[in-house]
Amino acid sequence: MKRNKWPVIFATPFLTAYCLFMLFPMLYSFYLSLFEYNGIVEKHFVGLSNYINLFTKDRLFLKSLFNTVLIMLMSLPVNLILGLVTAYLLFSLARGRRLFQVVNFLPYITTPVAIGFIFSYIFDWNSGILNGLLTHFSILEENYFWLQQPWSARLIVAIMIIWRNFGYCMMIYLSGMTAIDQDIYEAAAIDGAGRLKTFFAIVVPLLKNVSVFLLITAMIGGFQMFDEPVQLYSGWSAASRSVGGPEYSVLTVIWKFYDDSFGSNTRLGYGAAIAYTLFLIIGACSLFSFFWSNRKDS
Amino acid sequence: MRKKGLKDWWVYLVLGVISLIALIPFYMMFVMGTYYSEDLFKGLPLLISDYFWENLKTTLSHGILAAYGNSIFVSAVAVTACLFTSITMGYALAKFEFRAKKFLFILVLTGMMLPTQISIIGYIMEMRIAHLTNTLWSVICVWIANPFSAFFMMQFMKDSIPEEMMESARIDGCSEPGILFRIVVPCMKPAITTVSTLVFLWSWNNYLLPLITLNKQKVYTLPLMISNISVSYRQDYGAQMLALALSTFPVLIIFICGSRHFVKGITAGAVKG
Repeated sequence: MKRNKWPVIFATPFLTAYCLFMLFPMLYSFYLSLFEYNGIVEKHFVGLSNYINLFTKDRLFLKSLFNTVLIMLMSLPVNLILGLVTAYLLFSLARGRRLFQVVNFLPYITTPVAIGFIFSYIFDWNSGILNGLLTHFSILEENYFWLQQPWSARLIVAIMIIWRNFGYCMMIYLSGMTAIDQDIYEAAAIDGAGRLKTFFAIVVPLLKNVSVFLLITAMIGGFQMFDEPVQLYSGWSAASRSVGGPEYSVLTVIWKFYDDSFGSNTRLGYGAAIAYTLFLIIGACSLFSFFWSNRKDS
Repeated sequence: MRKKGLKDWWVYLVLGVISLIALIPFYMMFVMGTYYSEDLFKGLPLLISDYFWENLKTTLSHGILAAYGNSIFVSAVAVTACLFTSITMGYALAKFEFRAKKFLFILVLTGMMLPTQISIIGYIMEMRIAHLTNTLWSVICVWIANPFSAFFMMQFMKDSIPEEMMESARIDGCSEPGILFRIVVPCMKPAITTVSTLVFLWSWNNYLLPLITLNKQKVYTLPLMISNISVSYRQDYGAQMLALALSTFPVLIIFICGSRHFVKGITAGAVKG
């Protein structure tokens, strides 16, 4: 009986902090999402209309959702495939494995803000190094407005995400490959399977769980995209400073959330509704991909 | 296994090119940091120039050291607090039977799946009421209770701390906190490395929350400082780049030195979680 108080005591610090800094704010956010509230004036109950307005009146919300999904579709498959292939190449190497691992992992631990800054320099139309190189070697006749066109802007954000996360995918796949029973590779080699065949017949199917893990976590992370596009449009040249980039083409959901509640607006209730809607979307997508990937087994 | 030899040259080539792409932005940061701002536009800045010390002076006079101090403080406190709560919580969940156990377990599990953004607005209101906005505590508090860390600690203790060890300590008359901190914790080194690495990275790179709560330069963390570089350095692009390099390189170097542990830590978190 005496021992029974200890688990409670041990759980208390976490539980207190959790309730104070996560659970309560979360519930309070939900409560606020039912109000029209700007942090100063008395709040005003509006029921679910914040949520309804998101889909019916606010065209930018759907656009931001569209942008987020689009950029994800541009970056996520590349990340997974490239990560898997390079991990496999790396796995077959006898020497230099760790060097390549560490080098390709550096972008992942770099502050995304710094990445945004440096990319906004690379692609700057006037002083950027890309235009400089392209015109220097006469590939382009005149400087291209990379950051001022909706599609190239989205592409650049996708490239930033690929550049940053690819090393992470590679690393996870690599540790998955080391976890597979090594005899299988040997058996395949004895049976005369070449590299390509081993890859498709053994590595890809055996790493399915790793892929699902990466897919779901990358999706959750992708929906929360914020740092990179924001910094791309406030870093190098202050002239291109704007919310959402050209024609709001890289306005992501979290950027919209930030801008509506703390940026150009202070509609806290509305912002909370955006956050909750995003949460529902993330939840639905993760559940869907989880069950979809399991269903194919049976 | 297959013989490795010259046949592999194309593998090295492909990986080499990819690694080069990974490194180019870092190289550019460093090289451009050595240029006099106006010279950056005269040609392509591909090789190191001679303005490094001047730029360094400008950078240091703009409070990069203070931002460093703030970031180190935030991450250090966040990691310490998070380790403490997650170890105790993990211990309670892994090694005890009690009434609320199931409920707490579900709480931790669902907590892992919730994106932090849904609590941000409530959290900010809380911080405003507690007068903690514009203090570093406002960006530390979110890390104190980290569900992922608690879950990770719990799994680790379940898998690799034998009951017998605790039982014999109990018979020897060791108190419960004594068992946890003197016997269990020393065996937890790998898990502690993993959680510290991850929480350090997350809190170090965090941008959205500081952007909302901190708006005095005195309390800027590094990401905020970087994002305001273009404001505080006016048109001095060389100094901007150097500031960028200075704020990223030390972390990279620490990472490279300890890469064996960090890499293990980060992938362990993923493969287990």
